[in-house]
Amino acid sequence: MKIATSICLLSALGFAACQAPAIRRAPEFNGDLVAGGHRQIAKAPAHDKNRWRLITAVHALKLGRHSEARALLATAMPSAGQILKADARTRLAQSLFSPENVKGFHGEPHERAMGWFYRGMFYWMDGEPDNARACFRTAQLMDALAAQPEHRADWVLLDYLDGFITTKLGRDGSAARTRAQANAGNTALPAYNAKANVMVFLQFGFGPMKKTGGDVGEKIVYDGGHSQARSARITVSGRTLIAPTFDNLTFQASTRGDRAMDAILANKAAIKKTGDLVGDIGVTAGAILASQPKTEDVGVALLGAGLVGKIIGGSAEPRADTRTWTNLPQHLSFAALQLPVGTHTVTIEFLDANGIALPDRQKNVSVTVQTGRDTVVFVAD
Amino acid sequence: MKHITILFIGTALWVAVGCTNINSTHGPSVTEMRPDERGFVAGLGIESQDLVTISEKMARGILGAEPIANAEGKPVIVLEPINNDTRFPIDKDIFLMLIRDKLLEHAANKITFVAREHMDKLEKERDLKLSGQVTGGEKITGNKFKGADFILTGTFKGISGRGNAGASDYVLYSFQLIDPDTSEIVWGGNHQIKKQGKDDVTYR
Repeated sequence: MKIATSICLLSALGFAACQAPAIRRAPEFNGDLVAGGHRQIAKAPAHDKNRWRLITAVHALKLGRHSEARALLATAMPSAGQILKADARTRLAQSLFSPENVKGFHGEPHERAMGWFYRGMFYWMDGEPDNARACFRTAQLMDALAAQPEHRADWVLLDYLDGFITTKLGRDGSAARTRAQANAGNTALPAYNAKANVMVFLQFGFGPMKKTGGDVGEKIVYDGGHSQARSARITVSGRTLIAPTFDNLTFQASTRGDRAMDAILANKAAIKKTGDLVGDIGVTAGAILASQPKTEDVGVALLGAGLVGKIIGGSAEPRADTRTWTNLPQHLSFAALQLPVGTHTVTIEFLDANGIALPDRQKNVSVTVQTGRDTVVFVAD
Repeated sequence: MKHITILFIGTALWVAVGCTNINSTHGPSVTEMRPDERGFVAGLGIESQDLVTISEKMARGILGAEPIANAEGKPVIVLEPINNDTRFPIDKDIFLMLIRDKLLEHAANKITFVAREHMDKLEKERDLKLSGQVTGGEKITGNKFKGADFILTGTFKGISGRGNAGASDYVLYSFQLIDPDTSEIVWGGNHQIKKQGKDDVTYR
């Protein structure tokens, strides 16, 4: 009877940990993605607000609401060179009983690089190409910790733009261009035209998504992104040029290699699995032994040890942080045009892998060229 | 039963003590600091303490430069934006503004700065005066906007690295005083800063 009471007490304790799932209401949507994003930012817990700021920034960027996008990116991202320090949440993320996603969101390297890429584009829009170049360099540095040397700092467009801006500022940008071409493989990158005054930033498709991998969710694996478009055909004033794909975000995300945090999560996973194993053996063997008067004491001890193992195994949280900047593209592309001062209509067609224009994807963009500064245009498929 | 009770109480205590609120209940705290102090959010980038140190050093250097120290009259200096060749986006005017303000503070009788950055507004005001829409036009005879005896500008260059051991950034802050008539660099000064740091393990 005593044993039965004990088991009941312990079971009650175990079940106390079970919570009914929180009811998630369908998101409110009124057609304005930016307004919806701002609502999500307001609702999100503090450690997740930055992710929503980044997502909303891309919505705003696509809708041409550049000042909103610029402000959201500036708020969401640490300054260049800021050291991401330990705090209560990072310590909690490392603890055995918390998943990784309790820490403040700063994204994985490909997400951080994209944040700096967009910020660089905005600096260029504001007529500050050297500050844009600074952002592209910081973006490239985000990728410097990839596991394999050949994948470190290997974004093609970032080096290409670094060299292009350096060339436009009257210096030698060939070293950066050579790096870009080396990473571009068979894609022939366009030659620099220092007199180009219209910069067209293009992005295609849907980027990679994180999901949990490993036995108990301790790893991040990537669901590859998708894009039908592989290049763009730009037509203006009777001239046509092809903008190739410079970068593939799924490739960048999946070539990052192991993170320092992965070792911590692997330890947590090992403890969880060991706890579960000890629990299974201890509870089963303990229950059998405890039912015999001769081995009751040993059985109870084993049962207790098994329950402790179960509690530890059940409480350990090795889950990796799979929060994702969900509206990043699959491919990045770029083209530079030299146009006379005035307003021009630029036609952009998105081409598939065979170079055939995708139906219903054509975009016409009005571009106003001014004297003494570059015009920067952003187009998504 | 004794074992189980102890186990039960122990587990309950462990859970109760282990669960703490990690969100501050005291709200945000603000600490006022001098701009030349290194703050607790210090990073590898260009920060206020660098700005203060560099601008003071450059202002001293310019005051001691031969063309300024031995100039007849008050040479006119024009500020030209800095060329940023680092990985840090910066406000390119802030260094030159601070150098100018320090020079004006300590040597206003030796140097004249002209406000070229406000040229549009100045031209508009002058045109209003000349057209008689506002008073003061009678005092303007010919072009009174001053040309530069010297141009003060600079270039920032950087070397950045990142590896498993951490990140490091070296920045060279180089300033020049240029004679626009001859393109001669009449004074040059620089300051170098190298910083190293490491992100928390959860972000590496």
